[in-house]
Amino acid sequence: MSNDKQDVPGGASFSCSCADTNRRQLLAATAVVGGAVGVGTAVPFVASFLPSERAKAAGAPVEVDISRLQPGEMMTVEWRGKPVWIVRRNKEMLESLKKSETMLADPGSSRSDQPSYIKGMARAIKDEYFVCVGICTHLGCSPTAKFVPGAESGIGDDWPGGFLCPCHGSRFDLSGRVFKSMPAPDNLVIPPHTYLSDTRLIIGEDTKGA
Amino acid sequence: MSQINALVDKGKEVLGWVDERFPLSSLYKEHLAEYYAPKNFNFWYFFGSLALLVLVNQIVTGIFLVMHYKPDASMNGAGIPVAFASVEYIMRDVPGGSFIRYLHSTGASAFFIVVYLHMFRGLLYGSYRKPRELVWLFGMGIFLCLMGEAFFGYLLPWGQMSGWGAQVIVNLFSAVPVIGPDLSVFIRGDFVVSDATLNRFFAFHVIAIPLVLLGLVSAHLIALHEVGSNNPDGVEIKKKKDARGIPIDGIPFHPYYTVKDIFGVSIFLIIFAAVVFFAPEGGGYFLEFNNFVPYDPMKTPPHIAPVWYFTPFYSMLRATTSDFLPALWALVVVVAGLSFVSCKNVWVRRLCALVAVGTYWGFFGLTVFGKTPALFDFDLLGVHFGKGLDAKFWGVAMMGGSVLLFAFLPWLDQSPVKSIRYKGGLYKTILSLFVVSFILLGILGTKAPGYAFFGVIPGEPVAAVCTLIYLCFFAFMPWYSRLDKTKPEPERVTWK
Amino acid sequence: MKLLNKLLCVAALLGAALGTPLAQAATELKLDKAPVSFSNASLQNGAKLFVNYCMGCHGASFLRYNRLTQIGLTEQQIKDNLMFSTDKVGEQMKIALRREDAKQWFGVAPPDLTLVARARASESGTGADWLYTYLRSFYRDDTRPTGWNNVVFPNVGMPHALWSLQGEQEARLVTKDDGHGKKVTEIEKLEVVKPGLLMPEEYDAQVADLVSFLVWMGEPSQETRRGLGWIVLAALGVLAVLAYLLKHAYWKDVH
Repeated sequence: MSNDKQDVPGGASFSCSCADTNRRQLLAATAVVGGAVGVGTAVPFVASFLPSERAKAAGAPVEVDISRLQPGEMMTVEWRGKPVWIVRRNKEMLESLKKSETMLADPGSSRSDQPSYIKGMARAIKDEYFVCVGICTHLGCSPTAKFVPGAESGIGDDWPGGFLCPCHGSRFDLSGRVFKSMPAPDNLVIPPHTYLSDTRLIIGEDTKGA
Repeated sequence: MSQINALVDKGKEVLGWVDERFPLSSLYKEHLAEYYAPKNFNFWYFFGSLALLVLVNQIVTGIFLVMHYKPDASMNGAGIPVAFASVEYIMRDVPGGSFIRYLHSTGASAFFIVVYLHMFRGLLYGSYRKPRELVWLFGMGIFLCLMGEAFFGYLLPWGQMSGWGAQVIVNLFSAVPVIGPDLSVFIRGDFVVSDATLNRFFAFHVIAIPLVLLGLVSAHLIALHEVGSNNPDGVEIKKKKDARGIPIDGIPFHPYYTVKDIFGVSIFLIIFAAVVFFAPEGGGYFLEFNNFVPYDPMKTPPHIAPVWYFTPFYSMLRATTSDFLPALWALVVVVAGLSFVSCKNVWVRRLCALVAVGTYWGFFGLTVFGKTPALFDFDLLGVHFGKGLDAKFWGVAMMGGSVLLFAFLPWLDQSPVKSIRYKGGLYKTILSLFVVSFILLGILGTKAPGYAFFGVIPGEPVAAVCTLIYLCFFAFMPWYSRLDKTKPEPERVTWK
Repeated sequence: MKLLNKLLCVAALLGAALGTPLAQAATELKLDKAPVSFSNASLQNGAKLFVNYCMGCHGASFLRYNRLTQIGLTEQQIKDNLMFSTDKVGEQMKIALRREDAKQWFGVAPPDLTLVARARASESGTGADWLYTYLRSFYRDDTRPTGWNNVVFPNVGMPHALWSLQGEQEARLVTKDDGHGKKVTEIEKLEVVKPGLLMPEEYDAQVADLVSFLVWMGEPSQETRRGLGWIVLAALGVLAVLAYLLKHAYWKDVH
């Protein structure tokens, strides 16, 4: 170190002594503590990006009256700012679930986000009423209902009826199960829900063990 | 006459006073009067100064828009979101407001047109090559900031395209393994695109990114003026200097290029004004029709597409499905193999092998090209080791990566010449294919999935092929740029 | 530069390919060209129709009543003939209908119509064309809760608000081969089965006026904007000529 004296700056009132260990130690310590203070200061700024208490509080369950829903129709309710669909499936629609089975990526819903009491291909508490979050598992668009099967749908002759996402063309059957080779990786999410009576449904809450 | 002389003396005195305190004259000389630019600039060299003009337009119009705009997603008395209504307030109730708003919205598209042409100029004449690597990298930074500005700004009108566009792009981040879902909540500040999202995007759009952008633009210009401008012949004018040390083929930027750029600006302004006054919607490409409907988080419009300047990259995202991964892996293997063969360094060779194996696992997991079930699966923090990573993640990686690929150009291009004028047929063919692919991807990105050209040529395979061509342009550049039969560069620039 | 020319040619061809009407998929709409007129007579008639037939449910909450002076009405005329929900002429054209109630009644809240002509533009045609075709394409459909359906907007929530003028139309169905050997049923045309107050041509003219008003309302300053545009272009043209001469005056010493 002391050999590179020729590079050391100096003037009339100062001369640099480079190999000063005391200086080095202080420099390192100052840098470490200063850095720690800097990181500490960043914490509240980064944390402010997280959802606020107000946003967290907005997730209350919603009650729905499904008495006016006709077979073959669907309704949409808002839960946590997201659309939740309730589809009242008729016989043909339930029948179509079997037909679509071979075209699906995950027919058994093994990697899907759904409550433990949702099972089988109907993915519903009552087969007739299908409840799911109407948000595509790809990038969060809301798919469009395409209930008409076959060529008339404009999707394809073998279309069994279901949902089509307008953004990237992911297709789902009438149980919200995704077709093979679609941009969406998973089946549509089923929210926790439970029946208060035959015609009243609560979304966002379930009775434990039901 | 003596009065005028007295005035001139007075002026010199004032200038002297300033110069003792601030390097005004030397800055002026360094960047304008004694910055020597090659005399053979052509049409393509207008776009740098035009980009600066559009930047100033965006900043000035932006400041005035902020005076009236309200980033507020709550509903007003008529059931319209306040943010959406405040844009219409600007359009109708603020005197001159519609003009300022159209200047800003048209300016956004004009910015990308100008910047894409500016970057294409770089591709044509090798402006990214030594010693201008940092000019190019600062430029890449500007391009990324611009994309950020466009994305954050697009949420502000709070229309259907604003909301759903933000929803899709923010959800891209949820594809990142392990931290993804939390990351997208972190970006939105809520579980859905909401008021919190609107407010932070507003902050990014009006202050955070513009500050970074201005810094990068300064760095871009300082770096450029340090090394000097390239030119259509790609030869260094600094190699041939006269007795005074001035490049023989250089002319002072001011007045020669200032007057030339004023002419360029006036032509640009004619086109710009024609759009602002006669077609501010740009046929639905500059202002999307669906964005005249307030954001409804319950209903995605039947056809959503990003604004045109994002569509080439968006198309590549869409093309990256699980069916596409085998082709992508084949490309990775060929590039890794070529690097392995042409590089003797053992660490580079190990890296090549690692990349080939790693991407195989990432694409297909422990399966045979994704066609067979996984040998076994084991799940750690949501990553399925047997199945590899989702095609969704690779789509996102593709979109980000395809933008960043431009940053590697200075090191990928191994041609002995810089300018297209002296490059051979091979390079010209590949560049043409690249440009055609880029445009086709852009067109496809504006269309709904399932679109077919002329109703018969299905869009998906076209997008897949174009994506591969786009990638090949970069991936094989080190080899084809060396194979290319180039012509000898001239000693001096060609002029008239 | 040869390459550049080639590239530009390719780009131009692609642009042309994009611009030409493509062979549309079956779902694409065929829209009639709307005869939009910005004459004061048309716009005033359109305003009257809008206030009488649309504003029961739809607001135009970005438009102030006194803007209508721009289409040749005096403030007194506006107050006397068009304002029912307010007495302040600077007020916006809002409606009293509550969104929650509307949602209950129609399933969806009737949208605000100020910007509808801009929002309804698509690759199939301008927003005006869409509106013009839509308002003439209602037909009787007993399967719908309102008893009405629409060719342009299938299963629309809105009943036919102008039916007293147009009368009632019914759909004539036709069964066709879809080219893949399957039979599909399509609507061939609509027929007026119960005439309304107006003859079909008269009705079309009324709709055209209403649509003109909706287009005007989307951006009331659009004609001023275009008018100003010519002046700006002329000024910039002069600037370009001067800038060209200036450039030449300087560049003559570059050799």
